[in-house]
Amino acid sequence: MTQPAIKLLNARFTYPKNTFTVYCDMLCLNTGRITLVTGKNGSGKTTVLKLCCKILRPQIGSLYIFGEDAKKWPLGRIGQSIGYLFQEPSHQLFTATVWDEMTFIGGIRGDDSEKTKEKALELLDRFNLLDFKERSIYRLSRGEKQRLALAAILMQDIRYLILDEPTTGLDAKNRNILYSQIESLSDKGIGIAVISHSGELISRYGENKIVVENGRVVL
Amino acid sequence: MKTLDPRIKLFSVIIITSLALYYRRPLWMLILSVSAFFMTVMLGADFAAFFKRIRRFFGLLLMISLLQIIFVRTGEPLLTVNGFALIYGDGLSRGVSVSLRFFVIICSAAVMAGENSRRVVASLIKLKMPYTFVFMIMITLRFVPVFAESFSDAITSVQLRGIELKKVKLGKRIRLYSHLLLPVVADSVIKSQELSIAMEARGFGAMKKRTAYINVRLALCDYIVLALLITLGAGAFAAYGIYA
Repeated sequence: MTQPAIKLLNARFTYPKNTFTVYCDMLCLNTGRITLVTGKNGSGKTTVLKLCCKILRPQIGSLYIFGEDAKKWPLGRIGQSIGYLFQEPSHQLFTATVWDEMTFIGGIRGDDSEKTKEKALELLDRFNLLDFKERSIYRLSRGEKQRLALAAILMQDIRYLILDEPTTGLDAKNRNILYSQIESLSDKGIGIAVISHSGELISRYGENKIVVENGRVVL
Repeated sequence: MKTLDPRIKLFSVIIITSLALYYRRPLWMLILSVSAFFMTVMLGADFAAFFKRIRRFFGLLLMISLLQIIFVRTGEPLLTVNGFALIYGDGLSRGVSVSLRFFVIICSAAVMAGENSRRVVASLIKLKMPYTFVFMIMITLRFVPVFAESFSDAITSVQLRGIELKKVKLGKRIRLYSHLLLPVVADSVIKSQELSIAMEARGFGAMKKRTAYINVRLALCDYIVLALLITLGAGAFAAYGIYA
């Protein structure tokens, strides 16, 4: 059963010095399904999805998250239900070790430490990172960083996940691990948007496709 | 005026900031601030970016001025409540002077920030400064926004993990920021290492003598402005010594 998770209406965003403008008349992303967002390089795919979770704030337009007007929501509130995996995972890893990355936010939020540890261990195991628990994040490969970033996002009980070019720089084995994680999350009812122009991803998830062309969402 | 040689701009900045350090009286500082503002505009600093830059400093300027006004307790009492002097003449004078001094320094920074960095490098080399030293200064300036961006990315990532920063208690928020600082510094160090490798791979330092793609040369208008600056600068120093 799917329901609208994110609705972006009549939105417009212009980068400073009018370098590029993105328009979106209507974009609806649903839970329980995988949506592929595709388009040429520089067409505005990432910008559109950053507008969907207010990493970028639209200059005009409305944003609804699970039916509620999110115009005045801080980013932190949006992050409680929507996860965003950056194209470059090292941009979102902000602690010194793998274990810190998994447990630090729980500590700040004041979560039960035993439950946090349990969940962190389970996720590290699921993403084949248990052996790297004490390792510095600077000594991880790109694929490992990406798995860690995704595992850290899943420490929250998110209901929607946005993945920006998740297969960039991954070998076949790591891509398969990622696909199985995406599908398993989707089976649990979490909505997923994947930004990509990779043929492999298009053939896999191209059934629900959104195309962005020259800064406009073409449904 | 916008195309003046960077050495002349640098000289004007040195004169203005030296005067800002030399002047103590608020009225003189005010005249200097107005002059610095017009100099900034005439030398082609981006007007909109200039005001944005100043806006960020307003809070800091206000706080420094207030501290001076409150804690300098010499001169004539200007404001007295129930027999207790709150503001003294010297305090107010120092507070205003300090604010204006910062304003002049910001104006000077705006002049150099608006200049093409490669022209600045070429000018400093013409002033016989070692190339590696000049390059180090430019890279350091380049890394300020990189550092700020890394920190901003870290803050965004924390929020994307469901942390509403305004709701986090002050103690925890300080812990959070201090915790973020180390990885951000480490990230900047890694970026600087990568940059140095990239520079060496492109032959930086391979030859002792370098040729320059951008060459700067003093033109007639540069000499005229230089003479004007020397005259006005010397006059401003002398006038303060005589009249203030």
